[in-house]
Amino acid sequence: MAVNVTDRQRSAYIAAQAADARVNVELEAEGMTLNIGPQHPATHGTLRIVVRLDGEQVLWAEPVAGYMHRGYEKLTEVRTYPQITTLVNRIDWLGSFCNEVPFILAAEKLMDVEAPPRAQWIRCILFELGRIANLILFLGDMGVQLGALTPVFFAFRDREHVLNLIESATGGRFHPNFDRIGGLKEDFPKGWIDETKGVLKKVVGFCDEIETLLMGNEIFERRTRGIGVIPPHVAMEYGLSGANARASGIDFDLRRDEASPLPWDKCDFKVWTHPDGDSFARYWVRLQEVRESAKIVRQLLEGIPSGAIQAKVPRIIKVPAGEAWVHTENPLGEMGYYVVSQGGLGPFRCKIRTPSFSNVSITPWLLRGVFVPDVITILASLYFILGDIDR
Amino acid sequence: MAPKLPGLVKGLGVTLRTMMKPAVTVQYTGPHGKEREDPPARARGVIALKEENCTVCMLCARQCPDWCIYIEGHKDKAPPRREGGKPRSIQYLDRFDIDYGLCMYCGICVEVCPFDALFWSPEFEYSEPRIADLLHDKTRLGEWMEGVPEPQALEVGALAKKGGKK
Repeated sequence: MAVNVTDRQRSAYIAAQAADARVNVELEAEGMTLNIGPQHPATHGTLRIVVRLDGEQVLWAEPVAGYMHRGYEKLTEVRTYPQITTLVNRIDWLGSFCNEVPFILAAEKLMDVEAPPRAQWIRCILFELGRIANLILFLGDMGVQLGALTPVFFAFRDREHVLNLIESATGGRFHPNFDRIGGLKEDFPKGWIDETKGVLKKVVGFCDEIETLLMGNEIFERRTRGIGVIPPHVAMEYGLSGANARASGIDFDLRRDEASPLPWDKCDFKVWTHPDGDSFARYWVRLQEVRESAKIVRQLLEGIPSGAIQAKVPRIIKVPAGEAWVHTENPLGEMGYYVVSQGGLGPFRCKIRTPSFSNVSITPWLLRGVFVPDVITILASLYFILGDIDR
Repeated sequence: MAPKLPGLVKGLGVTLRTMMKPAVTVQYTGPHGKEREDPPARARGVIALKEENCTVCMLCARQCPDWCIYIEGHKDKAPPRREGGKPRSIQYLDRFDIDYGLCMYCGICVEVCPFDALFWSPEFEYSEPRIADLLHDKTRLGEWMEGVPEPQALEVGALAKKGGKK
């Protein structure tokens, strides 16, 4: 039976066929598009990376951030200063205390108050403990991305000691909310310093253990050496900071380079750099950093001054009008707050510079031409926290 | 000079050594009954309310970053302190609810309370199958007072708190 086909239907059919053909040609010419994430076990959260593949090789990659955007910069405008510390805890949730410190320092700079020395030392100790807790997880997690399950269990086991310390001092395992303008909430409980000295031994032991587990391992070496190389000038162009920059040979550490109220200048520590700039170098630099942090905490515990932990501040905190920028060397890199105050209870505007956001911006450059399994290794070695990208 | 061990064997040696050590984890619930690790005294587990200290000043409800505290009260006459005096007018607490489904555990309410009516307790076992049951009313919050620890001693070199026990 003949079917009556109108001209309109016929032209629609031809157009559809042509569109199909175009798609096929496109697929053949430019390869396949693959979404890594937003829900993927190898990304630590909801980062989506769109990669275009030619066989096993990546032609083009693009990170899509924003799946976990919580609007903290906007939220700070409608919260008071004491309320904001509890918000910024949740930016980099593995080293929470480190997020509070630059914000509080910026507010103190505007108010022109200075915390007493004991408070600064306690801040510095907790800051470094936060760094240890954060980086220990990376040291184990890198193994998981390569298929080695044991290191991550060791990492969780030994991170627990550090988290217990933070909890017994501040009351919160992950979100301390311990820093106040002009000082701290409370002093350490009795016996905390001795306990910490014991835990630092375990942390150093963990570093030795993970070194025997992974560093000499043939699989680990071959999957990280020479993979994802970032030359120093590219690292500079993309604004990389922290261990990612230091692994490319850039000798940059704000703890040493910037004057800070926190007593890093009174400690003796080495800033490790690595000339290679590959995944292995980034792992190695972080491993050394944990050791250096343990060294810093030990020195600080030896020389902690006694005295008050809170300077005199008004009960209702109003910050005078002005602008302040404070940045510190956080576990993931350079973190800073640009606080603009108009004299109210909360900031007028607060710009949060997070390290992961800049560190992830290099992925389109870095992932071009690598193979699919290496995408996971490179992402793991860049070490970002999703809350830190999206905040 | 020891011969160079392949990395895999060296790594497996670490695994074997750790296998011989006792487990560090605790069997929370299960066939061996119930074990639990007690959190430190400062842990922010649950907020306890000492009802007689509350004066319905609403400071905690106003300072709460996510407004999870609901307070209602009324003013009423109370008997005079001295015989023959004027009857006083004081605030009575009718409702004090904390919604733990919203609470961020920041502790601002405990800190701002000027009359020491709110305390942290390290108790943590209050999960509920229904999210609406996480709203604790004032009797439930009062029951948490049992778990509130005594003020702790501070580390050497700390300044003693004013009026606090050493």
